[in-house]
Amino acid sequence: MRVSVKEWTAKGDPWVWLNAGAVAISLVMVLGLLSLIAVRGLSHFWPHSIMEADYVGDDGKVSLMIGEVVESEEVPAEQLRHSGVDVPEGAEFLNRLLIKTGNRDVLGFDFRWILEKKIRDRRQPGDLMAIERREWGNFYGYLEDVKESGEVVASGPQAWDEFQQRIERTLDLHDQIYDIEKHQIGSVNYTLERLRLKERRLELNGKKTPQAMADIEAERAEEDQIYQSLQQQLSELYTQINRDSITARAMNGNVIDIPLAKVVRAFQPNNMDLFEKIGFYFVKVWEFISDDPREANTEGGIFPAIYGTVLMVIIMSVIVTPLGVVAAVYLREYAHQGAMTRIIRIAVNNLAGVPSIVYGVFGLGFFIYFIGSNIDQALYPEALPSPTFGTPGLMWASITLAILTLPVVIVATEEGLARIPRSMREGSLALGATKAETLWRVVIPMASPAMMTGVILAIARAAGEVAPLMLVGVVKLAPSLPLDGNYPYLHLDQKFMHLGFHIYDVGFQSPNVEAARPLVYATALLLVAVIALLNLSAVAIRNRLREKYKALEM
Amino acid sequence: MNDSMTQTTAHQETKSRTHGIDISAIERSAEDISIEQETIALQVNNLKLYYGEKEALHGIDMQIPQKRVTAFIGPSGCGKSTLLRCFNRMNDLVDGCRIDGRILLEDQNIYEKGVDVAELRRRVGMVFQKPNPFPKSIYENVAYGLRIQGINKKRVIDETVEWALKSAALWDEVKDRLNESALGLSGGQQQRLVIARTVAVKPEVLLLDEPASALDPLSTLKIEELIHELKDEYTIVIVTHNMQQAARVSDYTAFMYMGDLIEFGSTNQLFTNPVSKQTEDYITGRYG
Amino acid sequence: MPESNDSKAQALDTDSQGLEEFDAGAYVERIINMAQNSDVHLQHISQQFNTELRDLRNHVLVMGGLVEKQVSDATLSLVNADTELAQFVRQTEDDIDKLEVTIDEECTRVIARRQPTASDLRLVMGVAKMVSDLERIGDEAEKIAKIGIRLTEEGQAPRGYVEVRHISNHVGQMVHDALDSFTRFDLDLALRVMKEDKAVDTEYKSAMRSLVTFMMEDPRNITGILNIIWVLRSLERIGDHSRNICEHVIYMVKGKDVRHASLEKTEQIIEERR
Repeated sequence: MRVSVKEWTAKGDPWVWLNAGAVAISLVMVLGLLSLIAVRGLSHFWPHSIMEADYVGDDGKVSLMIGEVVESEEVPAEQLRHSGVDVPEGAEFLNRLLIKTGNRDVLGFDFRWILEKKIRDRRQPGDLMAIERREWGNFYGYLEDVKESGEVVASGPQAWDEFQQRIERTLDLHDQIYDIEKHQIGSVNYTLERLRLKERRLELNGKKTPQAMADIEAERAEEDQIYQSLQQQLSELYTQINRDSITARAMNGNVIDIPLAKVVRAFQPNNMDLFEKIGFYFVKVWEFISDDPREANTEGGIFPAIYGTVLMVIIMSVIVTPLGVVAAVYLREYAHQGAMTRIIRIAVNNLAGVPSIVYGVFGLGFFIYFIGSNIDQALYPEALPSPTFGTPGLMWASITLAILTLPVVIVATEEGLARIPRSMREGSLALGATKAETLWRVVIPMASPAMMTGVILAIARAAGEVAPLMLVGVVKLAPSLPLDGNYPYLHLDQKFMHLGFHIYDVGFQSPNVEAARPLVYATALLLVAVIALLNLSAVAIRNRLREKYKALEM
Repeated sequence: MNDSMTQTTAHQETKSRTHGIDISAIERSAEDISIEQETIALQVNNLKLYYGEKEALHGIDMQIPQKRVTAFIGPSGCGKSTLLRCFNRMNDLVDGCRIDGRILLEDQNIYEKGVDVAELRRRVGMVFQKPNPFPKSIYENVAYGLRIQGINKKRVIDETVEWALKSAALWDEVKDRLNESALGLSGGQQQRLVIARTVAVKPEVLLLDEPASALDPLSTLKIEELIHELKDEYTIVIVTHNMQQAARVSDYTAFMYMGDLIEFGSTNQLFTNPVSKQTEDYITGRYG
Repeated sequence: MPESNDSKAQALDTDSQGLEEFDAGAYVERIINMAQNSDVHLQHISQQFNTELRDLRNHVLVMGGLVEKQVSDATLSLVNADTELAQFVRQTEDDIDKLEVTIDEECTRVIARRQPTASDLRLVMGVAKMVSDLERIGDEAEKIAKIGIRLTEEGQAPRGYVEVRHISNHVGQMVHDALDSFTRFDLDLALRVMKEDKAVDTEYKSAMRSLVTFMMEDPRNITGILNIIWVLRSLERIGDHSRNICEHVIYMVKGKDVRHASLEKTEQIIEERR
């Protein structure tokens, strides 16, 4: 049946199609983005097989090439010719491979572009191994000998098993060293620092009596003693951990010596079956989530960044919720509804549109330089000239973001308050309740789902915000977590790591961009996941509240 | 039968002969009530109410009798709800609302300076058009007024809740689910719950602002019956759109039109023989 | 005079148990109690409405009881030449008039305030009409009492008293049954009353014939007998009003107007939807 165009438009069909199309495109884009991030990010942890091949150099000399094929692309021959590569006549396109050769210490670089036709005889020998190291990136090559205190204890086929056993021992030692250095010595240092500040404070207050000094000295001596004993343990551990080493042959034939202390793990991907690979994959993912970063954030995990992000968002919520609710309650319930409130409302709405970096500048200028330094003057004079709150930190970041998200909470809460039927307030007032009692016992509980909506929006916005944080507290590598076992446990003055900033840092500030790219995706995926998790928990709370006060929609 | 006996006794009996039925009692029982014989609960003196510049009530004079049901009727916007809301100062909540004149509750002008409005509203309770139970349990709804007053003794609250729910003829329906949400009740039950909630603070006057207009006919009848039962204890003032309802539940009826009190009288008189032509036109449905 | 008194006393003993003075208060109380038991009109949610309807109906029963007593008292005063009783009948008529006004007013109020519907509406409407019939019965009774007073004063021979007593008995029973049918909403009884009315009419006609014969026998009797004819006429009217009351009762219960229907048709209507 033919339908005229006019009729078709009159029925509204084009609009339906248009809207459906727009929704479909948005969905595809979101899903595409997420899957791109997921695929790129998650594949990073997979143990790719290592290729070995013969490389024919420009001068015709054949050399060995070992590495992971990371990427391959087609390049127009013309382009190569212009960049001075010798390209045979007639070819229009050439395949080019990006090989991760690792061994930065030996070769000076760990990624290399080569033309596919220049390599031949690609193979994947099983005893080819990859070593993750604490510095210089991955090592690819063949294991030669395992040494103990310089003496060869195993070589040839038995060397691999020996190597694995000794890695475990070293890792164990490493953990002990880490524990001592990070926690115990950290704790001692923290106490010493506090003693120093205490002494300084006494000095500033003019109460530096010999008695007090003696106490401090006693404590200090005690801590020193602990420190000494820890130091001794450490040096023992260090001698133990440095006992073993291996020798391995790299692709250019050099045999190098690798101390086991520098090895995180060694594996032979070409020898692994699927299950081993899956197991390895999850170990790597877990490490990514739970470990500290290594090598300028390009290796290891991002746990401090997750921790910092979540903690910052939680503190931000704790600050913004009461502030926003109180402001909204005042605006909606108490303020005289006139030109002034209208102006304030417009201002609040506009605040939501101010670029976030402006908030960062404001936070830096007002909170840190003005309020922070005044706080330091008044409360922490002993630490000066090094600032306590007069420098970017967790608290200022949280407050800055709280201000950034305040309009959202205010607007959402106001909406919620406005939606509460007048009859509810009147019902309460008619029973002899005062306005405050009505607000507290009836209105606020009923508006709580709307408040939660505001908080959800605030969290969503704050967790994704990076620009202002760069000014007010985020660093690429924080020495310790802002919440730990040292009194007062929550260190609001400390700088912290943040997933968003981590992405920026790893992706664009890292010395080894190629190596870090998959990490950017993985971190981005994690950021999305963390935000989703924060949001979902807030949504769950809101839905429970909404269920409790549901019939009020009528 | 002895004839002479009848003859002799007949004359003596002339005056005392009776048929054994007290006609005057029947006449009295059917007699109309009159405001002159009532105790006055609320006295309104020349009450004017302004919304901004607009005068919404033009000097109302009225007496609300104690422990009777007084109904306000009139077309929409005639000011009957506004007048009702003056009795517990609900109009204070409206921006730009100003009041002139006096309302005396036990010889105390409720619009005098220094009157505790919360206390006034405890004495003059109000029930609204739509049932508005709080999103709390049935028990907590009724206990709300008590808790506001700072009463926290569980025994006292328990007793009052039961008493109030019984007063509102709701106890039997909800006694097994006092801790369930009040929002699960039907509209009629909710309205009776709201009445129970209001009764729980033991007011002197109950103001009902179209209490049954959102309810089905059966629930409406139950509410009306409840009003009839409550009038032994409370002075009740009810605003209703529904003339028939006013006729059914009230003892006195006030007809208002355009912010004026046109006629006030016993419901019997007003609905059978109104004095004013306007009243007659309204209750007979002749308004253009 | 004594002679006639004797014969009257005899007649009373033989065929007129109904012709006695009775205590209307106790009687009304009895019928009200009877009415209490079977009541379809008193199950409203609104207790107030129930009370109003109950009062209304009880007041009708009070009025009915009074009227019934009036009829019997009037005949009794006539037959016994009891002027004093006749005076009492005339006084009581005032009460009946007051009751009529009161009940009418109550009906108006119930309609204005309760907007009764269906059976309630028919009850109220029926009561309003019944009340006027009852009042008319009261009027007729008063007329009889008046004639009785006049006859006693004139001291005329009581010719035709047998017919009067007989028809009065019959009519008195009809009034009683009509009220009974209202009390219990007993349609069979109502129908019986309506049939009785035919019988009364026949008796009335035959009484007329015999009285006409008396007049022709002795023209001196004409004045006295004319008075008796007036009495019979009133009694016949009372029978008609009783019949009307029954028609109203049928209307209240069945919602069908049988005022101008034949007896067969009425019977049919009563049988319907039983």
